[in-house]
Amino acid sequence: MLRRQFLHLTGLSSTGLLLSGCGASYLADVAGTLTEPFNQKIEELLLKPQTPVPELPISQIEPEQLLINTFGFTPKIDPAKYRLTIDGEVNHPLQLSLDEIYKLPFRSMVIRHVCVEGWAAIVQWGGVPLRELIQLAQPKDGAKYVYFQSADRYYESWDMTSCLHPQTLMAYQKNGEPLPIDNGAPLRLAAPIKLGYKQSKWVTRITVKSQLLRNQGYWEDQGYEWFAGL
Amino acid sequence: MTSDSVERQPVRLPKLPKQAILAKTFHWINVVSVFIMLTSGLQIYNANPVFGGRQGMHIFPLFTLGGWLAGGRDWHFAAMTLFALNLLWYGLYILVTRRWKHRFVGGNDVKALQVGRNEKRKAYAWHRIVYTAIVPILLLAIFTGIGMYKPAQFYWIVDAFGGWEALRIVHFMTVPAIIGFAIAHSLLALKVGGTQLIESMFW
Repeated sequence: MLRRQFLHLTGLSSTGLLLSGCGASYLADVAGTLTEPFNQKIEELLLKPQTPVPELPISQIEPEQLLINTFGFTPKIDPAKYRLTIDGEVNHPLQLSLDEIYKLPFRSMVIRHVCVEGWAAIVQWGGVPLRELIQLAQPKDGAKYVYFQSADRYYESWDMTSCLHPQTLMAYQKNGEPLPIDNGAPLRLAAPIKLGYKQSKWVTRITVKSQLLRNQGYWEDQGYEWFAGL
Repeated sequence: MTSDSVERQPVRLPKLPKQAILAKTFHWINVVSVFIMLTSGLQIYNANPVFGGRQGMHIFPLFTLGGWLAGGRDWHFAAMTLFALNLLWYGLYILVTRRWKHRFVGGNDVKALQVGRNEKRKAYAWHRIVYTAIVPILLLAIFTGIGMYKPAQFYWIVDAFGGWEALRIVHFMTVPAIIGFAIAHSLLALKVGGTQLIESMFW
């Protein structure tokens, strides 16, 4: 069990004790619930949907800084059998093999990967822009959200605007090498505009939705902020 | 001295210090919001200590707010708007009322420290220097905080500090700066005006 989960479950810690006996996490939830809608509006306003975030020189890549964070286990995926499913509110649901994905337009970027924990690493990611995949599937009118299912049962949901950002990639390359399994091979989300926990690894299924479901993401359902824009 | 002789003294009411209601309002909101920012910030710090990473020294839980990382972030992002807007309106207020001219450090304080012989006046000069100096530190906390909150949109803030790690360190260093300030500010206020001055700022 992660230390933070332990602290969360035990309710151990906190100035909350000093503020009240209600339990610090509960009060934090209230504070978050009251202010997050407003903060999310600001985040959406700040996001420039089609403007790429300035990229960094290759010489600044920090291979040692990128820590491996996984909520559970590391799934083993046979690349030959792997299929990416794209479905949901689309006119043209489809399944793609890795070879088919490799033939789609490729984009490389050197960006800052920022973790919710506070650390950051400059990384090169290469892959297919997510918007290419979404366009292939032809989303229906009113498609506003996208869900990502991973082989390790991690799940995430994004707003469509961020998915269509030119630097939101389904990446299969890291720092010029094929994506390592620990970093999410064969296919993972990578984008400079969202915190690390939004960037699912080992993605097997992309589902377009018109509504956000009750389950919004593995960490979001435990209290993390949903939009998590950078 | 007997109680009798005390009663015969002519009654001289001391002139109690008074503060403008808006100054008190600012001070209260600032104290509360900075307290939340600081303790929730230390909670966030514990997820990955700025110094030493996961192996680094963690802040004792008594001084942290939120219970875990998400709770700390909830508090931090709830209080940031309050903290920043409070500082903003106060800034406008001291500009409009020209309080900045006579309520903050000025040339007369420097002169008092350099050539003055009045110890009380010197303490007062120090008091004004200290509470004036905290203003740019509070602004720096906001500026670096915006850079960390939205580093992709405000990449130029990250660049201005030469990178993420430096930005993080500067943002964190506002914590010891504010704690040091709070101690010095309280002690100097006590020295300059006693508990009466301190109470006048709160009630």
